[in-house]
Amino acid sequence: MTVAHPAGSSTLAEQLDELGQALEQGLASAHTAAEVEAIRVAYLGRKGLLAGLMSSLAKTPPEQRPALGQKANQVKALLQEQMETRLRELERRKEHELLARFDPSLPGRAQWLGSLHPVTLVTEDICQAFVALGFEVVEGPELETDFYNFEALNLPPDHPARDMQDTFYIGESTLLRTHTSPLQVRTMERKAPPLAAIAPGKVYRRDSDLTHTPMFHQIEGFLVDRDVSMADLRGTLTAFVHKIFGPDTIVRFRPSFFPFTEPSAEVDISCMLCGGRGTCAGKSCRVCKQTGWLEILGCGMIDPAVFAAVGYDPEVYTGFAFGLGVERVAMLKYGIGDLRMFFENDIRFVSQFG
Amino acid sequence: MLLSLNWLRAFTPYEGTAQQLADRLTMLGLEVEEINRPFAHLANVVVGRVLDCDRHPQSDRLSLCRVDIGQVGTLPIVCGAPNVAKGQLVAVAKVGTVLPDGKEIAETVIRGQTSRGMICSESELGLGEDSDGIMVLKGHFNLGHSLARVLDLNDEVLDISVTPNRGDCLSVLGLAREVAAEFRLPLTLPQTELPEDGAYCDQAVAIVIDEPELCPLYQARIIRGIRIAPSPAWLQRRLLAVGQRPINNVVDVTNYILQEWGQPLHAFDLAKLVGPTIRVRRAEEGQRFTTLDNRERSLLDSDLLITDAEKAVALAGVMGGANSEVTEATTDILLECAVFNPTSIRKTSRRLGLSSESSYRFERGVDQPGSALALERAMALIRESAGGTVLRGVARSEPRPWQAPRIAFRPQRAGKLLGLSLDETFCRTTLQALGCDVIEEDQSVWRVTPPGSRRDLEREADLIEEVGRCYGLDRIPSVLPRAAKSLDQLASLAPKTEFRRRIKLWGQGLGLTEVVNYSFVSTQELALLGLADAAKTITLRNPLSEEQNVLRPMLAPGLLQSVRHNQTQGNTTLRLFETAVVFQPDAGSETGAREPARLGLALTGQRHPEGWPHPTESDAEPTNFFDLKGMVEHLLRHLRLPAATFRTQPDHSICLPCAEIILNGEPCGWLGQVRADIAESCHVRRELFLAEIDLDLLLRHWAESVQSFTTLPTFPPVRRDMTVISAQNLTYAAIQEAIQSSDMELLQNIVLVDRFLPGTKPETEEIRHTVRLTYRHPERSLTNEEVDQLHQGLCNRLQEQLPIRFS
Repeated sequence: MTVAHPAGSSTLAEQLDELGQALEQGLASAHTAAEVEAIRVAYLGRKGLLAGLMSSLAKTPPEQRPALGQKANQVKALLQEQMETRLRELERRKEHELLARFDPSLPGRAQWLGSLHPVTLVTEDICQAFVALGFEVVEGPELETDFYNFEALNLPPDHPARDMQDTFYIGESTLLRTHTSPLQVRTMERKAPPLAAIAPGKVYRRDSDLTHTPMFHQIEGFLVDRDVSMADLRGTLTAFVHKIFGPDTIVRFRPSFFPFTEPSAEVDISCMLCGGRGTCAGKSCRVCKQTGWLEILGCGMIDPAVFAAVGYDPEVYTGFAFGLGVERVAMLKYGIGDLRMFFENDIRFVSQFG
Repeated sequence: MLLSLNWLRAFTPYEGTAQQLADRLTMLGLEVEEINRPFAHLANVVVGRVLDCDRHPQSDRLSLCRVDIGQVGTLPIVCGAPNVAKGQLVAVAKVGTVLPDGKEIAETVIRGQTSRGMICSESELGLGEDSDGIMVLKGHFNLGHSLARVLDLNDEVLDISVTPNRGDCLSVLGLAREVAAEFRLPLTLPQTELPEDGAYCDQAVAIVIDEPELCPLYQARIIRGIRIAPSPAWLQRRLLAVGQRPINNVVDVTNYILQEWGQPLHAFDLAKLVGPTIRVRRAEEGQRFTTLDNRERSLLDSDLLITDAEKAVALAGVMGGANSEVTEATTDILLECAVFNPTSIRKTSRRLGLSSESSYRFERGVDQPGSALALERAMALIRESAGGTVLRGVARSEPRPWQAPRIAFRPQRAGKLLGLSLDETFCRTTLQALGCDVIEEDQSVWRVTPPGSRRDLEREADLIEEVGRCYGLDRIPSVLPRAAKSLDQLASLAPKTEFRRRIKLWGQGLGLTEVVNYSFVSTQELALLGLADAAKTITLRNPLSEEQNVLRPMLAPGLLQSVRHNQTQGNTTLRLFETAVVFQPDAGSETGAREPARLGLALTGQRHPEGWPHPTESDAEPTNFFDLKGMVEHLLRHLRLPAATFRTQPDHSICLPCAEIILNGEPCGWLGQVRADIAESCHVRRELFLAEIDLDLLLRHWAESVQSFTTLPTFPPVRRDMTVISAQNLTYAAIQEAIQSSDMELLQNIVLVDRFLPGTKPETEEIRHTVRLTYRHPERSLTNEEVDQLHQGLCNRLQEQLPIRFS
């Protein structure tokens, strides 16, 4: 570092001006904060050049002193400003250099990614939709009695409708529940109307092929009160379908048969892939098989025989019930083609959901 | 149920297309799954006349024909049929036709002679059973016209999925009634003329019903002097259109009536009936009986039999016996038209695994009052094609006549339940169109009597469904219900549901993958895990396979299955969790089981994800027991539950080593390293760790736990380390407990910071545990001297209590 010494011959005022110029030159050759600091000490320190000049102020005529004093302060402020500017400059240069070496495209330290099974996600979505409508969530045993699974639901022994649900038996009258409908009976036994509940859970049917697994998940819903009508059922299911599949989805009621509802209906929704047209880009739609409709759930008005089994007066109360398959909804929602993948638990499958 | 449109039109003049009909039936609750054109392959088969027929120069059996097929010209065809002759009108399959057996007709050269087409037999065209020679058409037909057109074979067939309540729709007549009602068309029953002669039927055969509950009606007619032969072509084609194989003019008629009226019939060879007497009785326990399919069956006394004076001749409603079957030689027939109890038929059919078109219909209920017409029409059809003399009258016994229910129907309630404003006229005309008798006793309550075919209509609710169905359920408006529930009843999630949700989110947050396994596993798998104790497991009576025959008593078998599948797919690093119930026998429960909820964890492979930035050396190691234990501890901390203690669980059948988890003094699960043989069975190359936690217990503690705020400390902590040297069998828990039991108010925290064996003989070395202790006073700063004194005191006490030293 070089520090220019002002010539001894000039006046104090001149010397002060020269000090400023000398500092500027000195700062230009300073490349680190430490060098700037050394210059600061040399110029502005207690024994620095400015302090040296100021000590000669006492030798100047008294009438010049206020003006010179003022000038000295101005020079000092200028010197400080020059130094700060240089420091800022150096700081900026350092940042530039840092940014030049910085590669944000390098990977971050990887963390394990957690995933939830699509059955969990869809169950959650559906439950939330109904909880928002005022339904409570109820649960019950997966191993059931014949009474709750069949008889109380108007399915007496040796009724041909039992063929609709091939059953795994444990004992003479105990079985793996074939649907979540026993929760209708269990809940109504426990509570008086009005009630509105949904019951998610595993169910079991003795059936295994490309489109059936012996275990799957269902969500049962039911509402009982005075003057409940099929229009209420349609309204509830429409609200639900719009929440899960979007507000443009069309809901269709088609008569069907379930022993525990009368009237009974299948609910179809307009195909989300082809928008109900049956064709996609001129080809027949693979999701709805060209019908434009997807069968999504079964429902109906609770049969008076079910009310009789739980001791509700069917003249006073009416109600609706519905049941839907969770895997079916998940397959439609996520575009999963193979049902069996749900229970193979390949992490490359499950990891896609969360 | 397959419905032929041509057959339907014999009952009601439906003019629309098959697709329109299918759409309307579907919306009536009769879901049409498919529309078939059973004779579509006949489009390229045309009428031709054999102009010349000469012997093939190089073959005795082949003929060389020239066939005129009208405007297109004549075709040279080599024909192998013995009955081909000049001048015949024949069915010619042109080049390009695909026959029902899949054979495609191509231009060929047969022993030097070109053949451009094929003259077909009935069986080759799928039009009948006759395969002895080519089909010769009789009558006047335009040459070159398609066979489908000239034989009226442009039939379309709807495949309808009929729900179990609609037995009436398992017949053309039942479906015609629906179509007529839906399209407001007339319904015309076929006119039957049945000349009778000779003796009275009820004198020729006696009918005795021993079981009136199981057989409310048995009626029979007799025809004598018939000739068994193929059925007329029109009848064969109707059967073929709905997939029925024609057999002979008697059996075909019984099948025809079954399709048309839904009434199963059975024809006995009268000569083979002793008496002749017909008796309806229960089988004897263990009785043997050979059915038409030539299988001997062992019966129970719940099975119903038709017998003659000496022997069983039919398994009632399910299948006839081989001993009274109609054969080519049969001349006299007794035709049975009965009604059997649905439950009884179903029991027998299911137990024997023998489901027939008859049993299927009896199970769903047949039209008792309508059956007489079906019998009469059947007899007329047999007489038409087989000749013979029909005896006078019907032999009949009806111990339980059909009692039609009289149902009170309130139109207003129908509207209320359906959420519609229904017109009373619509209700009336609909019920009447469906065959119901409607009497309006007063304006608000009607008396409705359904037809005998509609056995599903028993209550007002059933009639409301009919009205709704015909009005169109899809026309019901959408209304959100206003349930009168008070706000406090709008309970949110049940604690169980909410808790499971928390657990799942914890697992996801920790970077675990959720799996869902089948609840059933194999006995073999359980045996491998040492869990095959029959007293502790629940076995399925009728499993689909031995692979899935027992309910899992813990989550481990399912988790191991997930591990196995992933390993075979090359997914070697796994961090899995599952929440589900397991099944344990419990004689005290109404279902015979307890279903405790569990959380299962499985861990194997890399501790950290692969790739730069590289982990430190220890991070690159495979995951181990302490990673899994850390997760278990993290779960408890996440739930703000107290820390668990862990103690060795010897003799665990799945894991070695294995630790039991104790929470508030209660066993709460276990964790450990899966035994090598089990891990190997899952194709795991590295160590595999499992944990299983009792979620019910966790939920109970979680529900009881109260979270409260502790004031933040204001004075600084002072830390001191101590290194405890001991034999290796001294556990860290022993050190920890000894420190905690010293009950020092100012000691706030104990952390194990290191554990090491300094020497080269790890088996015999003493072990060193370095523990960091934090001291803090709540109200002032501690001085170093104070802490030194406290710490030294602690060290001294530890040395008295434990076999340890400090240097």
